[in-house]
Amino acid sequence: MAEIVKLQSVSHLRKTMDDYFVRLKDATETGSKKIAWCTSVGPAELLYSMGFEVYFPENHGAMLGAAKVADNYIPIAVAQGYSPDICSYLTSDVGAFLANETPLQKSGLASVPKPDVLVYNTNQCGEVQDWFEYYAKHFDVPIFGIITPLKINELTETIISGVAKQIEELVPELEKISGIKFDLDKFKETTRLSHDGCVLWRQVLETAQNLPAPINFFDSAIHMGPIVVMRGTKYAVDYYKILLAELEDRIKNNIAAVPTEQIRIYWDGMPLWYKLSSMAKLFSGLDTCVVASTYCNSWVFDDLDPENPFYSAGLAYCKLFIVRSDEEKQKVLEKLMDDFSIDGIIYHDSKTCARNSNNRFGLPVRLQESTNIPYLEINGDLNDSRCFSEEQSIIAIETFIDQLKSRKQ
Amino acid sequence: MYKVGIDLGSSYTKGVLVDSSNQIIDYHLVKTGFDFNRSSKRIIDKFSENFKIDLPIYTCGYGREKLEVESVSNSEIMALAEAVYHLYNKKCSVIDIGGQDTKYIKINEIGKVDKFRMNRKCAAGTGSFLEEIAFRLDVSATEFNSFAEQATETIKINSFCTVFAVSEIVGMIKNGLTMPNIVLGIYNSILDRSFELANIDDSLILTGGIPDYHPIILKLIQKKIPNAVSPEKSQFMAAYGSVLLNTKRVN
Ligand code: SF4
Repeated sequence: MAEIVKLQSVSHLRKTMDDYFVRLKDATETGSKKIAWCTSVGPAELLYSMGFEVYFPENHGAMLGAAKVADNYIPIAVAQGYSPDICSYLTSDVGAFLANETPLQKSGLASVPKPDVLVYNTNQCGEVQDWFEYYAKHFDVPIFGIITPLKINELTETIISGVAKQIEELVPELEKISGIKFDLDKFKETTRLSHDGCVLWRQVLETAQNLPAPINFFDSAIHMGPIVVMRGTKYAVDYYKILLAELEDRIKNNIAAVPTEQIRIYWDGMPLWYKLSSMAKLFSGLDTCVVASTYCNSWVFDDLDPENPFYSAGLAYCKLFIVRSDEEKQKVLEKLMDDFSIDGIIYHDSKTCARNSNNRFGLPVRLQESTNIPYLEINGDLNDSRCFSEEQSIIAIETFIDQLKSRKQ
Repeated sequence: MYKVGIDLGSSYTKGVLVDSSNQIIDYHLVKTGFDFNRSSKRIIDKFSENFKIDLPIYTCGYGREKLEVESVSNSEIMALAEAVYHLYNKKCSVIDIGGQDTKYIKINEIGKVDKFRMNRKCAAGTGSFLEEIAFRLDVSATEFNSFAEQATETIKINSFCTVFAVSEIVGMIKNGLTMPNIVLGIYNSILDRSFELANIDDSLILTGGIPDYHPIILKLIQKKIPNAVSPEKSQFMAAYGSVLLNTKRVN
């Protein structure tokens, strides 16, 4: 029988996330703070340092997916003229907005918090620009974009300083909106907190290098909430100290995320949000732990440097996996395969997120040639469950694990 | 005592009866329908008429976990690979064209699966594509096959989607294209989808229900890969492999 060992830190996670939503609610109701909407790898440190509460629509998209309600909303956005082939975070989020529904109602917010400004970075994808523009028009508020080049091979000085400069140029605009004068020391402080949070998050993920792993991808995908939405605050730092302590304790006491761990998998691509727990059970039942993933393991911005906050933000947000060339991605993956003792890779080709589907330009074949690690591709989507054929995928996954087990014999 | 292997496919349930020296001595095929238990029971009952059957039954395929009878379930791909290696005993590639999926399997020198791939989630390139088109055009499988034998040239069917492919074909008929040439185009479209699964660089074994009922498929493949072969009763290979996998484990 599939056994999943629950992490005790979940209650702290819940409280950390609840408190975050309460801060957004207070800011909305009292007007005590301005609200900035930001993309997941946008300049959160700068926004927090300038006194904004920061809201992340992508986190909202993931909440809709995990609550298994995205499918109710995607058709509403499609009827509004958005293609079902574009980002299903976008379509489910816009659809839910048009339906005037949100899981945040559980946290006491009447609707998503009204933005005073929207800031995006195209480092992850171009869809966020269209997504944010929809809301900028709707709420008639200013919108700013950082445009990052895509598929960066060599990270040159020109690219880094170009992005750093764009971040710096946001300052006077944000001052006008927040009414708060930019304070370099405060920015250094949020940059330090972001750096420290990222280091802790990396250490959390690295505990899965242990055999057996104390945490798996299905946990990490949930526990990464704070590093996404509270990067640059002490709340994220505090939370990851708790989680790390629990995981170190697990290692000491030989407690595994999957007690029968025989096979260690790397997951590339987005989570299937609407199938997170059933996937966790499936793998566990196959004596398999998904020990690392692009989705979680690429979320580490430890190049952030409080002494050089603008430049290091340019560096950290261009160095990010998703914005790199396949050649650079392959190097990162090769190292992860080694560090985490990976037996096999599963690529989730997510129908509506090309940028997070790394199987599309021949990378799986090249990586298999260089590492001799077998791979499997499955077709699905992050939020649109209609793109996922469960029965067929389960058969493919079971067969893949059989294949890996027979290789080990 | 005899062992039974059952492959519970989405369209058909295939059963083999295997003797103690691992030879197949009987085959039976029934429609799967909505009840996996009913279809597998029909197979077991049929074999039990003349033979004493050993339990457990060795199963694979979509419905394999849901049986009431004592059974051991296997992955269909591992089972298929086992049977093919048992028969041919060499490093090879397998293309299996079944009811709702087409699979590619690479088997290494020692009979292990090195790699496998399944078609993307739609029915393009699978048996259902062919069946649906034949049904809509009101042509039987045998007629379909003989149409293709008479073709003088092939026509390209563009649509991946079965429903749109039918509209495309109706348009072709209206424009005066002949059925034999169109049908050859349909077969070629299935092959194109199969060859998308991998570049085959060794010997090819073709299995699944389609080569059994549409032997033209093998001839077409041989134009591209001359050494391609298809075992007799190729749609029963996974059922057979389920028995072999377990016999091997016990030994
Ligand atoms: S990276 Fe993918 S999931 Fe994220 S916003 Fe862009 S398209 Fe959507």
